[in-house]
Amino acid sequence: MLSTHRLVMLLVSVGLVSLGSLPCSAQTDGKTNEVDFAKQIQPILAKRCFACHGPDEAEGGLRFTSQKEAFVEADSGEHAIVPGDSQASALLARVTSDVEDEQMPPEGKRLSPEEVDLLKRWIEQGAKWQQHWAFKPMQNPEPPAVQDAQWNKNPIDRFIYATVSEAGLKPNPLAGRTDLIRRAYFDLTGLPPSADEVKRFVDDPDPKAFEKVVDRLLESPHYGERWGRHWLDLVRFAETNSYERDGAKPNAWKYRDYVIKAFNDDKPYDQFLTEQLAGDELDEVTTESLTATGYYRLGIWDDEPADPLLARFDDMDDIIMTTGQAMLGLTLNCARCHDHKIDPISQKDYYSFLAMMGDVTRWGRRGDQRSNNQIDVSSEELNQKYRNNDETKRRLETEIRNVEQSGIVKMSAPDQRATEGPKRDRNRVLKEKLRDNLSEDDWKKYKDLQKQLADTIKEGKSLPQREMVMGLGKCTPKPEQTFVLFRGNPHSPSDPVEPDFPAIFETPAPDASAFKGNEKSAGRRRVLADWITSDENRLTARVMANRVWQFHFGRGIVRSSNNFGKLGVPPTHPALLDWLAQQLISGDWKLKDFHRLIMSSRAYQMSSAGQTDGLATDPGNDLLWRFDPRRLSAEEVRDTILAINGSLNRQTYGPSFYPTLSREVLAGQSRPGAGWGNSSEQDKNRRSVYIHVKRSLLTPLLTAFDFPDPDLTCEDRFVTLQPGQALALLNSKFVHEQAKRLTESVGGAELENKDLVQRVIANVLSREATEDEIASGSELITTLQTTDKLSRQRAVELYCLTVMNWNEFLFID
Amino acid sequence: MANQKKRIRDFCGRTRREFLWQTGGGFGAAAMTSMLSKDGFFDGSVNAAEASYANPLAAKPPHFAPKAKSVIFLFMYGGPSHIDTFDQKPAMKGMDGKTVDVKTFGRGGHRTGGRIVEPRWDFDNYGECGKSVSTLFPNVAKHVDDIAFLHSMTADSPIHGSAMLMMNSGKVLSGSPALGSWVNYGLGSVNENLPGFVVMLDPSGGPISGAKNWSSGYMPATYQGTVFRSKGAPILDLARPEDMSVDVQRRLLDSIQNANSQHLAQRQGNSDLSSRIASYELAYKMQSTAPEAVDLATEDAATLEMYGINNDRTRDFGTRCLMARRLVQRGVRFIQLYSGGSHNDANWDAHGDLEVNHNKHAGNTDLPIAALLADLKQQGMLDETLVVWGGEFGRQPTAEYAKGTGRDHNSYGFTMWMAGGGIKGGMSYGTTDELGSRAVENPLHVKNLHATVLHQMGLDPNHLSFFYSGLDQKLVGVEEVEPIHDIIA
Repeated sequence: MLSTHRLVMLLVSVGLVSLGSLPCSAQTDGKTNEVDFAKQIQPILAKRCFACHGPDEAEGGLRFTSQKEAFVEADSGEHAIVPGDSQASALLARVTSDVEDEQMPPEGKRLSPEEVDLLKRWIEQGAKWQQHWAFKPMQNPEPPAVQDAQWNKNPIDRFIYATVSEAGLKPNPLAGRTDLIRRAYFDLTGLPPSADEVKRFVDDPDPKAFEKVVDRLLESPHYGERWGRHWLDLVRFAETNSYERDGAKPNAWKYRDYVIKAFNDDKPYDQFLTEQLAGDELDEVTTESLTATGYYRLGIWDDEPADPLLARFDDMDDIIMTTGQAMLGLTLNCARCHDHKIDPISQKDYYSFLAMMGDVTRWGRRGDQRSNNQIDVSSEELNQKYRNNDETKRRLETEIRNVEQSGIVKMSAPDQRATEGPKRDRNRVLKEKLRDNLSEDDWKKYKDLQKQLADTIKEGKSLPQREMVMGLGKCTPKPEQTFVLFRGNPHSPSDPVEPDFPAIFETPAPDASAFKGNEKSAGRRRVLADWITSDENRLTARVMANRVWQFHFGRGIVRSSNNFGKLGVPPTHPALLDWLAQQLISGDWKLKDFHRLIMSSRAYQMSSAGQTDGLATDPGNDLLWRFDPRRLSAEEVRDTILAINGSLNRQTYGPSFYPTLSREVLAGQSRPGAGWGNSSEQDKNRRSVYIHVKRSLLTPLLTAFDFPDPDLTCEDRFVTLQPGQALALLNSKFVHEQAKRLTESVGGAELENKDLVQRVIANVLSREATEDEIASGSELITTLQTTDKLSRQRAVELYCLTVMNWNEFLFID
Repeated sequence: MANQKKRIRDFCGRTRREFLWQTGGGFGAAAMTSMLSKDGFFDGSVNAAEASYANPLAAKPPHFAPKAKSVIFLFMYGGPSHIDTFDQKPAMKGMDGKTVDVKTFGRGGHRTGGRIVEPRWDFDNYGECGKSVSTLFPNVAKHVDDIAFLHSMTADSPIHGSAMLMMNSGKVLSGSPALGSWVNYGLGSVNENLPGFVVMLDPSGGPISGAKNWSSGYMPATYQGTVFRSKGAPILDLARPEDMSVDVQRRLLDSIQNANSQHLAQRQGNSDLSSRIASYELAYKMQSTAPEAVDLATEDAATLEMYGINNDRTRDFGTRCLMARRLVQRGVRFIQLYSGGSHNDANWDAHGDLEVNHNKHAGNTDLPIAALLADLKQQGMLDETLVVWGGEFGRQPTAEYAKGTGRDHNSYGFTMWMAGGGIKGGMSYGTTDELGSRAVENPLHVKNLHATVLHQMGLDPNHLSFFYSGLDQKLVGVEEVEPIHDIIA
């Protein structure tokens, strides 16, 4: 059973002002009279023409979905659009016609004179079919100069101030230092500052005080734990395969550690992607780069698919979906069965992209669930010993099984059935009945084989540990021809395709000689990785710059951060986005300096307070006149509860641990407790990023606070506020244990009420208690003792529990 | 075409979070605010009008007038044999042990023939419709005039893992929301003190893949199934610690809310804070409403008897059936009861001894299911409650092993049934061949079943969508799927 007490959810009210109605573009497009296709023409076509001349219909042989198709000669022999010649363009004649049979649109309102004028001017200006903003090459915009001197320093602030002031608003003043340090701590490490750390910062006269804090936090190993987790959401990291057995993925935790370490080491983002996509095809292949190829092994895997061929393409679709969305912000997956309806991505693009990864094998097969996904990274000498041992073992096991089977087929059906069930049942049947069903010779042979096997196993166990990582253990160096699949059906291949990049990028197709394959792999993924990470790629840098912004500010400049296509949300600050993307590239794709750049802005350091004008004009804060307050994430909730009572085990890296799950939670499994281990008390106090992610058994406390389903990529977690969370923080065994620990950590229940309250508030909220809080806290403790007749110890514990339930604890300003 | 346009307009330019927020808006939020004000919770320091949150489980208008308000899905996990229960095969009479050419696909792979296992139970005719039902279900048989049998069901996979996902979420891939999640997403709940999607498990354990079967996938966890237990506190963390009285908890809550009010007063324009305040009051209320909903103490002796709660064999399933009826009365939208859990013969997966297995599971459930139908009818609730019966697939006509009666899985043809909720009674739809090996007449896919459930609930299956991963995801998939019109009254 999962934590399934979601009774009612109160969703966070992210602002919902229509983006289109706001003056949100800082990239003022000059005051030329040039008609903007994307903003002014495309909406008219989509709204008024697409019904009959759009993605689904091409009446009269005409559709307005691409330049090519809109400029063709229609069935009528006319051209709807003749660039530069409005007279010759049938489109204009039809929308202005007085003849009822000729009029377009045939039903509904006529176009307004303004709309007709726009179309006319656009055609006369050459009918330029401008690309969707995200598919255009990046610009390198100049940050606008603004009047406010304080907002004129950091280029980010100049972009922000320009848009805020254009709407007649003023951005908020700086946040107080107590708020700011708390914001920075959670943002960079997911952990709270101690009361001492807050005080030191508040009292620091150094003008570089905040920079020092940021530098220190970026050097903390906890930075990678927090920011690595963002990446793990995107690549749907989990440590099991889902389906009936939900089997464990050995060494998946090493990929998780790879990600955390990459952030901690400030590994350039282009290298980070390259290693994940082609870590086995680099000029210098290392254990680390091989571990990165674990990227391909994170998805779900059906070990007994009804249609194995379909299952392979489902696997590839999962990888293409994740790669397309996480790295390129493109929903390539929409073109699996047919051309993308809205974005210019064809089915051919999809299968050409698939061919780029054509050498990727499935996770495994039922008989061998390791070779494809485990890479031996130990010494060759040791490997040889292991190989010999394995070979002997396998041979003996096969021989033993053959003998067993020869006996089993003579047994009754229920007995045969039992031999296919749990090992225990099989062994029982074999023990009781095998001998009777074997000849004397076979029995002797059987015993002898068993002895040999035992010796071999013993010998194998005495060998030194072998080092394995999860990744592309085996590829198909010569991939089969890839075809476009009719309606996505793997049993209906149509045109053959070669590995290629999606057409919208306008990159020439790679020459076959670009693929430096060898006996292990096809060399295609390296080409793909080089292309994705090239400085010229239109989306990679934009998508990542947007993500970093999103994780700092709680939302992206493009809010649909996995979808930069036409169905996504247009950027609130397009020029700023391109500028940031350029900074990321020119900073060698390193993230730590990028964080410094963002966090040194006033935009980041602004107060989160509401202001009447801002709330009235832009209640959703799309312009960024204030910093958005936020709720703690699932991991932050659990980690902070442990941190404030001093029991958080801050050990970094290593195998995952298993927190205690209650019996009722395990009862939802077909074998309660299966696949869930026991960890030491010490390990159970580790940070949440190290919790074993079992797809069919997610940790209830985390899911209650919106830990995402790990089967599919998650660009942005839901933020819910619901009674199930309240129940977990009021009633769960975990939280009561932690309240007890908190009581001990502040000095125990024997303390005077005043001291107690002061210390609890300091620990939980990293600040001093107010007089009011001391009075009400003391009163609560006393009443619990006197009126409710609770022991002093319990009364204090319950007081601690209440503070851990305060909104101030769960929200960051 | 019109639909397509509408969908594009509906979702264009929104993030998934936004989209959800909007769909949840409206009536429910206002209702909750007023409820809290009435309870005297919001004092002078908190302006109730500031609480501008939305409750996505708030009741939402259906697409059209619904026939059913709730669904009870009786999930016969493991796959009951259709030819031994409701799909009589007279031609198999006397054929036991004969070898026959028939294509099958199950756990044991593809086969082209095998040894016939003649159905082991006799059939009798029942009701005005004269439907023949085997002796496995003598009590359910009395209700055939209220039941529409779907004999031509097919599914994409004959393997438990993917077939369970298929029956529960419409896809063989994990990660998609369950049918119950879709219903709640589409309609919300009329009782905010109870979850809208409840799952009750067999005492032997959960089904394989556990919580994946009631996951909300890419939707928020709000829509996932809540496991209700029939003993102790029904929901995880619902019960207060043993040493905490209601009064103590109320005192703690007041203290928390007092701190929260002061915190809120200093923060203009942050509705999340007031939402969270409200969620604590709801949680507090649920602690009394949820246990009451499943407390059978107020049910009379005759009712308990009728559901078989006084009998060891039928107590477990009877209790769950009765709890289901009580939950429907309280407005819970979707309830799924599992018959069978764990592995092997703890569920309907009769690979070994068909007779032992099916006698056990039918014997445990026949009386309670009949009682549920009778009770719903007698209380006038059957019209608005859609009852669905079936497993993830059926079973093969031939033997799995050289000896014995065990049958392997069969997704080429099997039987499910529906009753109540605007479904025509006394009818049988579709057929399988004379061995029951595959659907022949009017074949149905799991998607048709799902479409029918949504349709009866007032939702258009080809319209109900959730924007994720660049697509308007639908329970029934991309292609249009028709509900089974012939069984709709």
